Amino acid sequence: MEQTQLVRFVLNGTKRELTVVRSWTLLHVLREVYHLTGTKYGCGTNDCGSCKVLIDGKATNSCSFPMHKLEGKHVLTIEGVRDNPKYRLVPEAFVRCHAVQCGFCTPGMVIAALGLLLENPHPTEHDVAEALSGNLCRCTGYVNILKAVLDAAGRMEEYTHGQ
Amino acid sequence: MDSDVPVILTSIGDSPSNKESLSKALGSAQYVDDLPFHDLAYAALLLSPHARARVVNIDAREALQMEGVLAVVHCFNTPARRYNSAIRFYSDDSPCDMPKTERIFDTEVRFVGDRVAAVAALTEEIARKAAQLISVEYEVLAPVITLEEAVAKNAPLATDFGVDGTNICGGAVAYGNDTEESVLRQVRTQEIVHESHFHAARVHHGYIEPVTHVAAYDDEGVLTVWTPSQSVFSFRDVLSYVFDLPQSQVHVVKTIPGGAFGGKLEVMHEPVVAALAMQLHRPVKLRLNRKETFAASRSRHEALLTISSGFRVNGILVSQHVKSLLNTGAYAGSGPNTVGAQSGKTFVQYRAESLFYHGCPIYTNSPIAGAMRGYGCPQIMVAREVHMDQVAHRLGLDPVELRMANLLEPHEKNVLGKDMHVFLAKECLVKGTEMFGWEQKRRAAEADRSGSRRIGVGMACAVHGSGWYGVYQDMTVVTMLMNNDGSVQVLAGIHDLGTGARTILMQITAQALGLPLQMVALHDADTRCSPVDLGAQASRSTYIGGSCVLKAAKDIRRQLHEVAAVLLEVPQEELSLLSGCVVHQDSGRSIPFGRLVDAAQKGVGGSQRQIATVQSFASEMAVYSSSAVFVQVCVDTDNGEVEVRQVLSVHHSGTPINPALCEAQVHGGIHMGLGYALSEQMETDPNSGALKNPSFRSYRMFRSNRMPRIEVYFIKTPEESGPYGAKGLGEIATDGVAPAVVNAVSHALGNLMIDRIPLTPKTVLRMIGKIT
Repeated sequence: MEQTQLVRFVLNGTKRELTVVRSWTLLHVLREVYHLTGTKYGCGTNDCGSCKVLIDGKATNSCSFPMHKLEGKHVLTIEGVRDNPKYRLVPEAFVRCHAVQCGFCTPGMVIAALGLLLENPHPTEHDVAEALSGNLCRCTGYVNILKAVLDAAGRMEEYTHGQ
Repeated sequence: MDSDVPVILTSIGDSPSNKESLSKALGSAQYVDDLPFHDLAYAALLLSPHARARVVNIDAREALQMEGVLAVVHCFNTPARRYNSAIRFYSDDSPCDMPKTERIFDTEVRFVGDRVAAVAALTEEIARKAAQLISVEYEVLAPVITLEEAVAKNAPLATDFGVDGTNICGGAVAYGNDTEESVLRQVRTQEIVHESHFHAARVHHGYIEPVTHVAAYDDEGVLTVWTPSQSVFSFRDVLSYVFDLPQSQVHVVKTIPGGAFGGKLEVMHEPVVAALAMQLHRPVKLRLNRKETFAASRSRHEALLTISSGFRVNGILVSQHVKSLLNTGAYAGSGPNTVGAQSGKTFVQYRAESLFYHGCPIYTNSPIAGAMRGYGCPQIMVAREVHMDQVAHRLGLDPVELRMANLLEPHEKNVLGKDMHVFLAKECLVKGTEMFGWEQKRRAAEADRSGSRRIGVGMACAVHGSGWYGVYQDMTVVTMLMNNDGSVQVLAGIHDLGTGARTILMQITAQALGLPLQMVALHDADTRCSPVDLGAQASRSTYIGGSCVLKAAKDIRRQLHEVAAVLLEVPQEELSLLSGCVVHQDSGRSIPFGRLVDAAQKGVGGSQRQIATVQSFASEMAVYSSSAVFVQVCVDTDNGEVEVRQVLSVHHSGTPINPALCEAQVHGGIHMGLGYALSEQMETDPNSGALKNPSFRSYRMFRSNRMPRIEVYFIKTPEESGPYGAKGLGEIATDGVAPAVVNAVSHALGNLMIDRIPLTPKTVLRMIGKIT
């Protein structure tokens, strides 16, 4: 029998307790236990970024994050982004800037972008390109994605000042 | 062009966002792996470790004894009918075009990654563990791994599928406007004779969604398959054939594809999940991991091309011979059709007195090749456009000048006597030369060749068709139904892959009916409710699909006019459509569509009826999109790295229906072309046949921090036969990119002869003699 462990964490603002098997990844738990399927499995090897979530505000590949190391941490998935009026400006910018095609990489891109903007609200295009370099996209050539992130930066700034 | 449509252009030329883009960005759109199923079982494949072996015996007892294992399928307990995974029409059974080589499982495995068996279990983890417990007795056979081995004189055979005791799949495609011998003779007797060889590596689509399918088999005997298919009717036909089920009992649902690019056009492992679901009477999901996705899916044909041309000293092309060998891997799939599609490009770009194409798909014991964005075109474009630059250099001509002298003109008859219609290749070239500052950039780059970092500037032209017509019959069907409030439902056979095909067809419908976009709903392919279609391929969705929705909308308009004419007591000719109403211009009276629908249902102007139509559209015209791509690179001669600094891509795809989505298509095409030129290749071990780099870390697609500055420009002149002047774009977006990059690298290195892609740092260092 595989070793199990109780893990306490916060998922999209809700406190959770879960008994996990040692081999489980965060991605597995998000998709299979909580049915939060907005976070995608793209490679399982930490290379494509489709599974990115924010862990304590930092964009992290959930496919390679062991569940037993999640104790006490805060996780935000794309579903949590959707319910946050400020964070939601990022996916909306993706739509406005035509940065979504097949869309499979998009939630991970949005999370990577959000992770950047929370840390650096005024990024340059170069900053954005570097911050998203762990996320692969095959449809867009990243052109409109970079535009969208810069657009979102402006709108998040306005939103913050409007509060 | 359609002249009698409402004049207010509310939709065509606007750029509404891609439908589904908000749900995709918010993570609520469901891809196949996200769909909820009750009682779902999980499958795993056992893939062949051998490049070629006979399967003598399979012992699955240990796997079946494992707790949670539900079933094991393999070649000794599944239907053995051979099929071709790339059929389009049900009747496609020509042994030349569509050789039937695949089985669900075969008693011989033909590449490392070929299917041997599959397990269904309660969890994916159990299924994967159990697959490794299956004991297989192989009789290992000598493989033929590389293309070079397979085409050598007296080559051993990779499979028993080849024609006439060779490794040729289906047969050679060989034709021109004269005999091969005459064309070769004419080439040899010109003032300038140039021959070049080019090798383009096998590459992968690199879609981010791994290969995933779900199948279910219900108590009514209906097999349903959910898969991100680019051609659901072909999939239905293959499945019904393999399992001997009526097509009425097979339902294929196109799920939202997480990237496709041709890679999901051919049936992959759907028959495996179907076999398991039929045995278990419960839904079964198979999701390959990334390593399996690289090894056991489809890829772009590796190509070896030889181009021989005869030019006059003034740069006029007189005669050209193209010889092409495409590595189709272990099974036929679309190998012969890819050669066929490639052959067509020989004749529709440059003017000449004689042209001949000779190409063969070749079997090897390596992963299966298949459709991929461009379908044979990127290979011939890179080989020929690099060849053109070599000729320009030999003649002391500017590469642009050489092409200007030879590109076909609009409405010119090509060498096969076919009208080129609105072919604006030269206009793209002129515009691009000016926008890019071609001459200044070339001169500036040539002025400084001192340091180790060399600037190079290159360009290339490309051409692509819109639909199959010319090579193959092409048709699609649309059902259009008016709702009671005057909004409209469109059931279209087309397959949106995220490119925006649905959005664009909705814009065309809205335009033709004078409706706001939100009054149009369009559902794409589903074998149960949409009419038939040949799939998202051949850059056909806008040109063919758009023509069909336009035809259907015109019929709806006619029916609306019929009812309105009765109610308003005026002749139909005096009526027009405006903002959801039929309007009588002279009297200013108008009736909303909803009231006309209601009137028709109550029998006004005929029997009680719905305002609805089913229209088929058959293409009878081959029209060509064109591009001119300009690239600036910096080559570091110390470490061999190529930095792409700038790309300009000038296109003519008729009038863009949705310019922003068109531009986004080109961005993605450029990305794919850059990887093709510089970094991507599926490396196969020449001895074992195993893939050496089946991961996103070692298979190098461009990342965001490596992308150059990109500019895209569209010449918007309408294509005469296109829906609102539009024609295809998806594939030409990538066709011309790699050759422009190669020509720029060659320019940076003093017009060095380049004969291969990708130009990895190692390859560059080898070319300049820094390493051996």
